[in-house]
Amino acid sequence: MKFTPISQHSASRKGRLLLALTSVLLCGTALAQERGGTLTVGLSYDIDTLNVYSTGYLGDVQATVVEGLLAPDRNANYVPVLATTVPTIKNGGIKVSADGKQMSITYKLRRNVKWSDGTPFTSADVKFTWEAIKNPKFIAESKDGSEDVSSIDTPDPYTAVVNYKRVAPDYASTLFTFGIFPKHALEGKDLNTDVYNEKPLGTGPFKVKEFRRGQYVIMERNPLYWRKDSKGVQLPYLDQIVFKIIPDANTLVTQLKSGEIQMTPSVPYAQVTQLDALPNMNIVKNNVLSWQHLDFNFKGPEALRDLNVRQAFAYAINKSAISKALGGFPKPIDTVVVPVFSASNRNVVKYPYNPTKAKALLDAAGYKPGPDGIRVKNGQRMSYKILVQAGRANDEIAQQVIISSLKAVGIELQPDNKTGVAFREARYKGGYDVFYSGWITSADPVYSVFFKTGGVNNGQGFSNPKIDALLNRAENTLDPAVQKSALMDFQAELMKVLPTIPITTNLSVIAVTNKLGNFVPNPTNMTNFVNTSSWYLKK
Amino acid sequence: MTLNYLLKRMLGTIPLLLGVSLVLFGVLHLAPGTPMDVYADNPSVSQEALDQMKVALGLDQPLPVQYTKWVTAFFTGEWGYSIRTARPVVTEITERLWPTIILGGSSFFLALLVAVPLGVLSAVRRYSATDYGITFMSFLGISMPVFWLALMLQLLFAVQWRILPSAGMQTIGENSLVDLLRHLALPALILAFANVAGWSRYMRSSMVEVLSQDYVRTAKAKGLPHNKVVYRHALRNALIPVITVVALDFAGILSGAVITETIFAWPGIGRLFIESMNGRDYPVLLALMMLGSFALVVTNVLADLAYAAADPRIRYD
Repeated sequence: MKFTPISQHSASRKGRLLLALTSVLLCGTALAQERGGTLTVGLSYDIDTLNVYSTGYLGDVQATVVEGLLAPDRNANYVPVLATTVPTIKNGGIKVSADGKQMSITYKLRRNVKWSDGTPFTSADVKFTWEAIKNPKFIAESKDGSEDVSSIDTPDPYTAVVNYKRVAPDYASTLFTFGIFPKHALEGKDLNTDVYNEKPLGTGPFKVKEFRRGQYVIMERNPLYWRKDSKGVQLPYLDQIVFKIIPDANTLVTQLKSGEIQMTPSVPYAQVTQLDALPNMNIVKNNVLSWQHLDFNFKGPEALRDLNVRQAFAYAINKSAISKALGGFPKPIDTVVVPVFSASNRNVVKYPYNPTKAKALLDAAGYKPGPDGIRVKNGQRMSYKILVQAGRANDEIAQQVIISSLKAVGIELQPDNKTGVAFREARYKGGYDVFYSGWITSADPVYSVFFKTGGVNNGQGFSNPKIDALLNRAENTLDPAVQKSALMDFQAELMKVLPTIPITTNLSVIAVTNKLGNFVPNPTNMTNFVNTSSWYLKK
Repeated sequence: MTLNYLLKRMLGTIPLLLGVSLVLFGVLHLAPGTPMDVYADNPSVSQEALDQMKVALGLDQPLPVQYTKWVTAFFTGEWGYSIRTARPVVTEITERLWPTIILGGSSFFLALLVAVPLGVLSAVRRYSATDYGITFMSFLGISMPVFWLALMLQLLFAVQWRILPSAGMQTIGENSLVDLLRHLALPALILAFANVAGWSRYMRSSMVEVLSQDYVRTAKAKGLPHNKVVYRHALRNALIPVITVVALDFAGILSGAVITETIFAWPGIGRLFIESMNGRDYPVLLALMMLGSFALVVTNVLADLAYAAADPRIRYD
């Protein structure tokens, strides 16, 4: 489970790979790129390990060291990194078996790539990575995709053929995109305790110079890096990137103001205005593919299994008031597939803000206001516990708006906020009546984890055979047209049954010095630091 | 006071710590969630893998067995590995201990140096402008939220005047003492401020009470100089209740200062505790809490010794 500092809710890696469209572009100046300089970045979380597969966070630091075969670009399209092309059915890279049940993917690897210790990178490293991740002894957060692979063939040092047990349209958002392990350095080692977790060895533009726990990580130029710019100059341009660990959001902003850091990938909404006023700071907004939602627990109070009640909730909630309370950054939505996707269905049943209609629905269904204004049916007061992750300021603000919206129609919500493991447990076991949070969706969305019967993140206990069938269809095909139509139908059905109310889609805010050239935000789960080699500091 | 007494006291702490360990272990396991929950909602971590992890971490065994294993290992110095970072618990803690001791220790002594004289001054000049001034500052210090004061000072010193760093423990690549002191100044000052406020109030009220006693009047009546009466006769007696309060706060140093450490990005024990709590990292949590309890027990003994030093009538045999 990784979570970004800005959104500490998380689905699996599959449900997590988030993509963004950049609304501000900072690159493209005609100035010559200059070599040298140190970029200091503030991170808001305490790094646990520098192993991309075991960390509980997104690997901002790791992305500067470790490379995968492919990586998502700023529009979440996959581009080759250690592979020479992105395999597709068209270019023969992906072959589906005759029965349509299995597939194999052939990666052609880049030659002349060296690990930063000088050892050449080969297909043996690719195979080793899969074996190491799959090994049950390796206690890792992210093993997504490793179970889908049945074997890997390495006919020569620059070819890796990955054989899948199933047709996996989401293959690129997992395993090899995430990072390749150096076989020569890790074979036979215990990955749980190896020094790799402190000083990962990678093929990326930087290598770890010093990692002081709870304080900072210094990355220095990898002199053996394989990328060169168009003039043949060896990349990266920067000498160093320093990541400082600053857990407090206010201090992060103070450090930006005082010039002690020059960039932070996650600014709280409330702080954006004051940073925007700084003359040498750019504020970059990313339309993250995330959606905020209010879920009902189907194993909870009986009234919540009544469709009328769920519809009343939907009509009662003022989505634009929530957006306004959060500085206008979140955008109200009507379906769980966020609008940036072509598969987002605009014709689902909508529930515009209408408290009168909400009251009428509740009246008709027999929920009558009691003496204290809270509705009652069969002696049951409409009073429920609402769970939000404690400490997430944005969610807690939205929670307040939701509570007052529902109070206006005679439903009482009591905050029952939790944090850390207690929150996780409540979330996936359904320890709530209603639950407000956010999911970050993948570039190749997998919705079954949330809505399929028994889905891993389906803590609300929702089950609907029609939804299950539609999701099966969408997630077992490589044909985009079939996938799209299944997803469209899935949304239409989901909004009729209404187990969840989609509230808003959010964006993340990056603050970065205007001296940094070639910075391209990449808010997928591969982080903004996925390709730092061409970044440079203007003098 | 004899060596014998000390030995007896130290031996007495062993059953106490054992009792504490049982309570801590119980409370921790009663709290919702386990370390496995971090992995449990991940579809690619199979049930078999979870079971294997459970066995590897010893979480599959009944609680009494887990406790006995942990407690024997712990008291023989085998503190195990952190579940979150897979590093030895001892390394995790010692790395964080030094920054915590620097910050907590310096603010403690700073506070002590200021609080006692302020309290005495306040008591001796009772109802004067000085007294009211000190009292006002004390209440300000007690009621001012640490995080607010920290933000204001950061803005002044780091953003407006740019004379001190706003956070962190060292400038990257610099290891000098001056650099450390510059980073230490704000957090230590803020931590000390709150303590000065509290302690000087205790000192004042204790001193006021002693100053009104008969023996002080007698001392004054027989013509002893004012300073001698205050510092030789009154202060020593007035220190006893203050020692109790100060000793309790002293033990707290080893638990870290969560808020101050977080705001100032100080790599101390308090932050380690919060991180470990959020992941239910049992080995680290238990070690940290045991360390805190141990510090409390030891400072209690130290406080008893300090009583005897302040008041010769108190003797231990």
